[in-house]
Amino acid sequence: MAKRPRKSRSAKPDTFLQRVAALKPRLYAFLLDWGSWGYIAYCFMYLLNRYWYVRHVNFYGTLAVPAWAWPIVVVGTLELAVLSHAFGHSVGLSLFGLKLFGPDYRASSWQVRLRRYLWWHLALPLQALSLRKAHPKGLLVHDVRSESRMLVVADIQEELPVVKPRKWYLTHRGLMTVALIGLTFWLGWMTTQINLGTLFGRASKSAYLWKALVTPDFEHFVTPDPQLRDSIMGGILESIYMALLATLLGGVIAFPLSFLGARNIMGFSRAGWLVFSLTRGFFNIFRSIESILWAVVFAVWVGFGPFAGVLALTLHTIAALGKLYSEQVESIDPGPLEAIAATGARRWQVVLYGVIPQIVPSYLAFTLYRWDINVRMSTVIALVGGGGIGRILFYYKNEVGRLSNAWNQVGAVIVVIVAVVWFLDYISGRIREKIT
Amino acid sequence: MTKHLIVEHLTKIYERGEVLALDDVSFSVEKGEFLVLIGLSGSGKSTLLRCINRLIEPTAGRVVFDGIDVTAASSRELRRLRRRIAMIFQQFNLVKRSSVLTNVLSGRLGYVNPGASAIHKFPKQDVEMATVNLERVGIPEQAYKRADELSGGQQQRVGIARALMQKPDLLMADEPVSALDPATSHSVMQYLEQMNREDGVTVLASLHFLSLARRYGSRILALKDGKIVFEGLPAEIDEGKFKEIYGEEAEEVEVR
Amino acid sequence: MKDRYYAGFMTDKPTWSEGLAAFRKQALVLIADIIALIYLWFMVSYTWNYFAHHTRSFATLPWWVMLIVVVEAAALWQNYGVSIGMKLVGQRLVDSAGRRISPDKRALRFLLWHLTPLAIISLAITTEWKPWHDRVTELTMVGSDRVELAPRPWYRCSWSIAVVLICLSTLIAAMLITRVDLHALFSQASKTRRIWGQVVRPDWSLLGKGVRLLLVTVFMAFVATLFGVVVAAPLSFLAARNLTQGLVGRTVYTIVRVTMSIVRSIEPIIWAIIFVVWVRLGAFPGVLALFVHSVADLTKLYSERLESIDPGPVEAIRATGANRFQVILYGVVPQIINPYLSFTLYRWDINVRMATIIGIVGGGGIGQSLIQYTRVWDWSAATVMMLLIMVVVWLMDYTSSRLRARLG
Repeated sequence: MAKRPRKSRSAKPDTFLQRVAALKPRLYAFLLDWGSWGYIAYCFMYLLNRYWYVRHVNFYGTLAVPAWAWPIVVVGTLELAVLSHAFGHSVGLSLFGLKLFGPDYRASSWQVRLRRYLWWHLALPLQALSLRKAHPKGLLVHDVRSESRMLVVADIQEELPVVKPRKWYLTHRGLMTVALIGLTFWLGWMTTQINLGTLFGRASKSAYLWKALVTPDFEHFVTPDPQLRDSIMGGILESIYMALLATLLGGVIAFPLSFLGARNIMGFSRAGWLVFSLTRGFFNIFRSIESILWAVVFAVWVGFGPFAGVLALTLHTIAALGKLYSEQVESIDPGPLEAIAATGARRWQVVLYGVIPQIVPSYLAFTLYRWDINVRMSTVIALVGGGGIGRILFYYKNEVGRLSNAWNQVGAVIVVIVAVVWFLDYISGRIREKIT
Repeated sequence: MTKHLIVEHLTKIYERGEVLALDDVSFSVEKGEFLVLIGLSGSGKSTLLRCINRLIEPTAGRVVFDGIDVTAASSRELRRLRRRIAMIFQQFNLVKRSSVLTNVLSGRLGYVNPGASAIHKFPKQDVEMATVNLERVGIPEQAYKRADELSGGQQQRVGIARALMQKPDLLMADEPVSALDPATSHSVMQYLEQMNREDGVTVLASLHFLSLARRYGSRILALKDGKIVFEGLPAEIDEGKFKEIYGEEAEEVEVR
Repeated sequence: MKDRYYAGFMTDKPTWSEGLAAFRKQALVLIADIIALIYLWFMVSYTWNYFAHHTRSFATLPWWVMLIVVVEAAALWQNYGVSIGMKLVGQRLVDSAGRRISPDKRALRFLLWHLTPLAIISLAITTEWKPWHDRVTELTMVGSDRVELAPRPWYRCSWSIAVVLICLSTLIAAMLITRVDLHALFSQASKTRRIWGQVVRPDWSLLGKGVRLLLVTVFMAFVATLFGVVVAAPLSFLAARNLTQGLVGRTVYTIVRVTMSIVRSIEPIIWAIIFVVWVRLGAFPGVLALFVHSVADLTKLYSERLESIDPGPVEAIRATGANRFQVILYGVVPQIINPYLSFTLYRWDINVRMATIIGIVGGGGIGQSLIQYTRVWDWSAATVMMLLIMVVVWLMDYTSSRLRARLG
């Protein structure tokens, strides 16, 4: 192999892993761009379907596309992604902070960029076979052949001359963002079957609903309704206490778990990393599913009622608070910890005297925030069998055919929900202000 | 000869009578003067400056600028007057996330077409004037940087360039160098001096350090607890007057 | 003192005469104590009723008995120790000459306290607060910052013991109110065995349908967020205290704030129920429900940010003679673009989560399918839907947090 003059700072040759690591941002940017072009292609195909190819789309989001179209789409989007990367303008590149530079950090001419594009087709298959050899980290064959480099701007900020930036809406990424948002909006309008005609046309027909809602009937505010064997007051208290218990339990359980999910506490051994990843994974999974869906399972397990709601809320709360808590633990100031460790304290003492005082205010703030959210959730969790005021709300909503004042009763329930949620929101906001 | 700026019996009271920020302040300023306001923090210097262009509404009194009554002006007239009065601030008051050029151009907002300014379209000669002014204060290469990326001294110079864009008759400076180190303070004060001598702009500056006031001011006005306690030439401030202005325990600090 | 310069932005605080202020403080302390004691009473009553009488009720003795006992207890508490109200408002009982307060003096003050109504009448006449229980015993309640507070461990302070009692009783009552049944939890786990059996064998054939539903769900969230931003951004200027002045401004501010708070307190699912009646089932009512809730939430977040902008640049641009609109465009907007974008992404994330469940009430999207499958006990299909939801929510969460980190 002929020796090339390298710009690398270390004397050792770059290892394979280092070279892969340096290429990671470019890979992610490329995948992102390919994905966004693919998405644009999907939007176009859907619109074609809708307006030309198949007039009647009986299921939203479906595409009726002939088999020969798919390879064209895949190859086409790939080419477009490569083109944007070769020319140095793309959404992915700007998100990852990469820019194309010629020698001496100047911009490259279009001929150079064209050469990059053409070389890519030859280069990449070859490169895949020979990544272990030759090129210093961050460089691929088409980089070398066209004498241009794709570099992370943040690394070389100081050496760049300050030029007048182009208006955002004239850059490639600006136009692409506008296009993506516009297409998604158009498609969204169609797939969600927004029909302003229905909205305004049926306005008068549903006016009775609004009228009933604003004239609430507090018949069963404190006196229990015989069918339900509960009153609105009882229901809302059930909801509030559900949320309270869930937040308390969730916070108590999430507190120790958060330390297991914090990089700066767990990251010192292989076992530690494993526990950390598992905990973080647990948090992510259980955070993604809203409590109401867990309530479905718990309603089967312990029967319908507020207990199922408590369990569902607790599970979601553990995950949500665990994530917030562990992020907080990761962002503490290491100075006091150093100082305490230097006095010869044991590990748990360092945690107790150094870590915990720093995180208590934020923990309290997060817990209050979570309580607020749990109260809101508890108002509707009855829908799937949890208890609380939702039970009363949905009962009256279902009685609409039979009871004449059903919507008025619903209005009463809503008024109580609004009052309670608003009040608790206000209080938790004030307390959080005081804490932080 | 009409005075450029006349302040008559200006009073400002806050919080329903509890705080008397300005107490019957009266003075006048000739065209082309470099008047320096001195006094302790909280003596009313900032309030006085802001009452002159009605960023704060005075409780009583009159301000007459170039023959026009500022205190009685309608909001349209007030804006017309404000574009003739430029102001620079202790904390620079630049829009941090905007570029230096945009900050400088915003000095022309009182002059440009409101519709055009809504889409950030300034006339070409304004953009050229901005570049010229940036060169004048010595930072032409920073034009496209974000304002908060500059050092303190550079930011204040951007503020001066913004003031220059208004082509003002009167420049008010609210403690322009209090947040800067001594060397940068002098360089900023020299720009003000240059504006005063070469462009004939009347300057009304409030300063913390008496030595700066002596060096740059043609006349000094001292405030204490909202009242004027001294009005005269810099040389007239002796030990006794100094203690009267700044209090018994004060000692003079040189800013070289 | 820098508030003084922004007379246009800040309002003056009202001044109370000293007497009225002192009375207000005492009244607040008493109210806080009464509320705390009544709450404790309710919690204990419920627990007692449950265990002793096997009923669920918050009331034991008649309400007037409770009221009298509570008021007396509060007065006694305030005189003999530091009550919760005193701790919260920040008041302590001191002797005017600094002497130690003997128990019989406290008893005297407690007894004389019942003559407070006379003091209130004299307050209305002379705006001076000099009640008999203070005058005769030479004791007064003063702000806790004027008193040397000796640090005491938590188990020696009456208010902290009270707080602990309140927390414990709340915990026990909460477990009773929400019918915590640990027995059921541990013994009926077998009921869910069928579910787990099906969960580990997901029905992958539904993947295509699931992805399409997911697309609709994401589109729902997107459209709702977009419209929400478009409406909330201008509305937030009307809901920001520092930008709305004058009588008209204040009224508009109050109306907007109140309306948005009310709308925000109603969960999107409830809104969806209402909108289903209006525009029939499908994804449309879901979009409307999310839109309405997003507008309210975003307006609150946006306007809170507007209220905490740096007033310096705004002042500078006012000083150049720009009109109000230019001041907002050049002084306010550049400061808030990034935070606004950040809040929008945050709201989009939440909307995606909400969109996955809004199908339960007929709002379309993947939630509807999921619930239908659970109702027919087809848990294999439900698992596939759940997995898809997990993936998409996690993806949105990750993307939005990375983007928000970039925005700073």
